[in-house]
Amino acid sequence: MADLLVRPRAALADVLRNGRHGASDGAPGLILCERTELSAATLIARKGQARALAELVKSAYGIDLPSTPRFAGNQLPDGRFLVFLWAGFEQWLALIEGAQEFERELTLGLGKRASIADQSDARAVLRLRGPKAREVLAKGIAIDLHPRAFKTGDVALTLAAHIGVQLWQVDETPTYEIAVARSLAKSLWAWLSASAAEYGYEVVGEIR
Amino acid sequence: MLLIDCPFCGKRPELEFRYAGEAHIARPADPSGLGDEAWGRFLYGRGNPRGMHAERWRHLNGCGRFFNALRDTTDDRFAATYKIGEERPMVAEPQGARKA
Ligand SMILES: [Zn+2]
Repeated sequence: MADLLVRPRAALADVLRNGRHGASDGAPGLILCERTELSAATLIARKGQARALAELVKSAYGIDLPSTPRFAGNQLPDGRFLVFLWAGFEQWLALIEGAQEFERELTLGLGKRASIADQSDARAVLRLRGPKAREVLAKGIAIDLHPRAFKTGDVALTLAAHIGVQLWQVDETPTYEIAVARSLAKSLWAWLSASAAEYGYEVVGEIR
Repeated sequence: MLLIDCPFCGKRPELEFRYAGEAHIARPADPSGLGDEAWGRFLYGRGNPRGMHAERWRHLNGCGRFFNALRDTTDDRFAATYKIGEERPMVAEPQGARKA
């Protein structure tokens, strides 16, 4: 029998080209990458189980499950970084780097208190950083991203160029991450790349 | 831009929300025991006030939750938003309000 060749392929593999794009003078206003190494899963607390779920997450991972639009993460003893993003009332998106069978791992630990569904191939996540990151995002996102209104650790479920996204601020540089349904990733990219062009942007393999 | 205060997400732009009709209309417990007129009132009878209106909204392009709001139909101002199941908050009727 012939080998079945099904390899993982990043959502934006067709369109992201490493290197400098848009305006070419001065430092790039935006540096970005696709986070292709992430595994993702959604958690929805079972009825009346949100508190018990939070206690389980705390004891298993040392993370305080956010009950407001924020995220919280922790480096696990094996070195992996796990983060829980608020994703609606008693719902979360969990992200981790380089996990095998992440959904199974979460279901074993938390499945009694929450419904868990794998999203690893359902979402694309972009990381954006730079002095013009706010200006670029503001072109298609209606929420206030000024530091007094949207801070490091904040999460928003909102629209970007009429596409439903989850957005969060990672640090004060500022660095943002934006998660989008994989099937809409190229539409989002069409808007994002056009918005960033006037400031000059650089696509890289990884942003640490 | 009109901001609406989602009880779960906070103040968000109007375009993330969808209107979902008058609030606090309970479905009759025993529809088959009702006459046509009472059933018709449940289906179609709405206050349509000039002034403060209790109504359902959904944060469709956000957290997805339904919630209730008090909105002045004369100037579109939101006086309060509150979670489904909570009591309608006491809010002063605006000047010029008139019962439908
Ligand atoms: Zn909301």
